[in-house]
Amino acid sequence: MGEGLWAAFIVALIGGVVDLDSTATWQFMVSQPIVAAPLTGLFLGLAANQMGAGLKLGLIIGAILQLVWIEQLPLGMNVPPDAALASVLSVALGFLAGHRYDSYVEREVCSTVALLLSVALGLLGRSLDMFVRRVNTSINHWVERQLEDGKTWAPSFGHTLGGAATFTKAFLFCFLVTWLGVEPLRYFTQSLNFAQNTGFIVIQGLLPAVGFAVLASMCVLSRREFRVFLGGIAIFTVLPASIWLALPLALLAGWLFTRTADGAA
Amino acid sequence: MGQLDRWLLLQVAFRSFFLQASWNYKGMMNMGFLYAIQPGLDRIHPEGPAREAAYARHLEYFNTNPYFASIVMGVTLELEERLARGEIAEDIIHDTKEGLMTACAAIGDGFFWGAWRPFVAAIALTLAFNNYLATPIIFLILYNIPHLYFRFQGVFWGYRLGTDVIRLLRRFQIQRARLALRYATVALLCYLIPNHVNLHTPFLITYLPMEWFFLGEKLVQGIGATMLVGLAALAYRAKIDVLMISFLLMLSALVLYHWGILI
Repeated sequence: MGEGLWAAFIVALIGGVVDLDSTATWQFMVSQPIVAAPLTGLFLGLAANQMGAGLKLGLIIGAILQLVWIEQLPLGMNVPPDAALASVLSVALGFLAGHRYDSYVEREVCSTVALLLSVALGLLGRSLDMFVRRVNTSINHWVERQLEDGKTWAPSFGHTLGGAATFTKAFLFCFLVTWLGVEPLRYFTQSLNFAQNTGFIVIQGLLPAVGFAVLASMCVLSRREFRVFLGGIAIFTVLPASIWLALPLALLAGWLFTRTADGAA
Repeated sequence: MGQLDRWLLLQVAFRSFFLQASWNYKGMMNMGFLYAIQPGLDRIHPEGPAREAAYARHLEYFNTNPYFASIVMGVTLELEERLARGEIAEDIIHDTKEGLMTACAAIGDGFFWGAWRPFVAAIALTLAFNNYLATPIIFLILYNIPHLYFRFQGVFWGYRLGTDVIRLLRRFQIQRARLALRYATVALLCYLIPNHVNLHTPFLITYLPMEWFFLGEKLVQGIGATMLVGLAALAYRAKIDVLMISFLLMLSALVLYHWGILI
């Protein structure tokens, strides 16, 4: 039990810091799944002496979650699903439940189930986020009243209190989910018949398509862009799959098509 | 020119990192804004009613792009100085702040959320799908170059130029940069879609001769992935929730796997 508590504590600390980054402070985008998930995997892997495995799992899950939630924007009143907490928790649950299994398929099933679970947790995280924001609204009222009484220390105190509320929320949420969630998840995946469940790997392979579709809907806006898009896919289907080809071509496309767009305008 | 030195403006820039810590439904980033410019206000206004009035003034509604907020902070501090010297009236600060925060929100959100983050995310995904373990670090460094540039320079620009800062922003040609980034993101997508949606069917192994297998596999992957992405995009355009689409995709993947069409 002691080990589980320690793991939950590590996950809670990471979750608290990462969730602060998502809207409350800094916004270095450590909270993006592509960073948050490998970070969690790295620390948990270090604790379990399986650093490489943790980091790799984090990278895979991070990429998938990044794609699922790529269009969620923190604009104005819009509170997006908590992608940061979802990534931390899915890696934590998937790694802690699966890292004692030897076979690739068993681990994969654990991480896929954790991934699905964490999407729901991300939605729950959004409700918690809204709750903290309502708490902040009360803090705001309190600060206004204090300021009328001439207490000039109130604004910075209230502001710090708001930040502390965000951290506490994420810390407790991650701690409880990890502490209570790992064992049930392990039992659940054990009760699935592993040999029959390579279908989960098919799911993981297809899931990126959703994110690509969302990103394409964001970026392909005009008819010209659509033609570029289809042509590009055709080219890259035939070309060898190498990022040293893809990255320069992308930069070239950005430069070239913007130039010609200016000429047309 | 002003009474705020470089050190104090840097302090404001550092405090602007905590802009949204107390984000609330009434004033949004108001407390964070006040918290950030507090050292400046303390320097400008002597302790007493003037300072309290300044605090109360900046507890009003404030919402903009967090990275561009430091520009508004710089401009506000410059105006506060002029107010303390008696050159302008209070409502000028209010109006300027409101106009500027709307402009900065439009420019900043459009650039950072609409173009820069998807582009950097696409690069990171390209690297991640190729198992580059340094992906998170590359993502962070690349993403934060413009972020930190605007955040730290913004305070100084705003304080030095006042409301003329808008003219400076125009020099960056953000619209053009957005278009270029969008095309680059599309190009990266063109690479990602045929290569990193894993779609394998057993028919190829059974029916194709070995020398045609790899080409066939690539073509099937490319065409199948494009169709899949197209379907998902149509569903997304029809305002079906992303999670719902993912769920439907998983369900159909399991069914197709069960029938032996996909492996």
